[in-house]
Amino acid sequence: MFASKQSDFTPAQKAHTRRVLWLLLVYAVVLPPLVWIRATASVAGYIPLLMAIVASLPVLGMFASWGRYLSDETDEYHQSLTLRRIAIATNATMGAAVVWGFLQAFGVMPLVEAYWIPFVWVIMQGTSGLIAFLSRGRVAA
Amino acid sequence: MRWNAANKRYNVRVIWLSLLYAAFLLFAVYGFKHHLLHGPMAYVAAILPALPIIGIFGAMGRYLIEEKDEYVRMLMVRQTLWASAFALSLATIWGFLESFELVGHIESYYVAVLWFGGLGVGSVMNKLTLGAAVKC
Repeated sequence: MFASKQSDFTPAQKAHTRRVLWLLLVYAVVLPPLVWIRATASVAGYIPLLMAIVASLPVLGMFASWGRYLSDETDEYHQSLTLRRIAIATNATMGAAVVWGFLQAFGVMPLVEAYWIPFVWVIMQGTSGLIAFLSRGRVAA
Repeated sequence: MRWNAANKRYNVRVIWLSLLYAAFLLFAVYGFKHHLLHGPMAYVAAILPALPIIGIFGAMGRYLIEEKDEYVRMLMVRQTLWASAFALSLATIWGFLESFELVGHIESYYVAVLWFGGLGVGSVMNKLTLGAAVKC
């Protein structure tokens, strides 16, 4: 049953999943040494700037992978589902960012790193994907 | 490109929401500046100006549903995708720069500001790649 669910993935979805997994691997490999270097060694000049940009590149790659997936996907139904999911994730994330931003501006909540916003977006995407996957299993059953 | 009914409705909604935003923001700024807001009321007053902006995101979603011209809708969807990619990418970079203590923290609503700016980027990309852009 699980195998039949796996085969439901379109080639574009498989390619996107593969790309994201590779990017996550790169992220997991690259981030710890950068954080360690920043915490222990004294780096100056353009090096910390480069380190910060290198740390963010795999995440940017994931966003690019979504774009690539949308242009590669030939199944219009899957494409529209993904667009819908992106629209929901973006609206929810931007809504949270705006509310949190005003709470910060008026001193009610603390300032946090801006990468938490893309993090929320990725989590929203993952949650929507999981719900879609689980509900597909239920429909099949 | 002439404005159709969906465009007009979107613009009317955005104008009303912008007026509401100005009113809520003035109220909140006045309240906080004169230390009139405390406890739960402070949270409510801080969230109030955010609501019309969320409403603008909602208005954009509504526009995409109401737009009957599939080509124009596709252009707008592409534009919003570019906006999301632009805003989230810059937020990621800025977040790591903050993390490595190279820049200061900023209020998170600037990401929404970037998103609206990203609509302009999307419009340019539409113009460059498809030779057309949506006028909203």
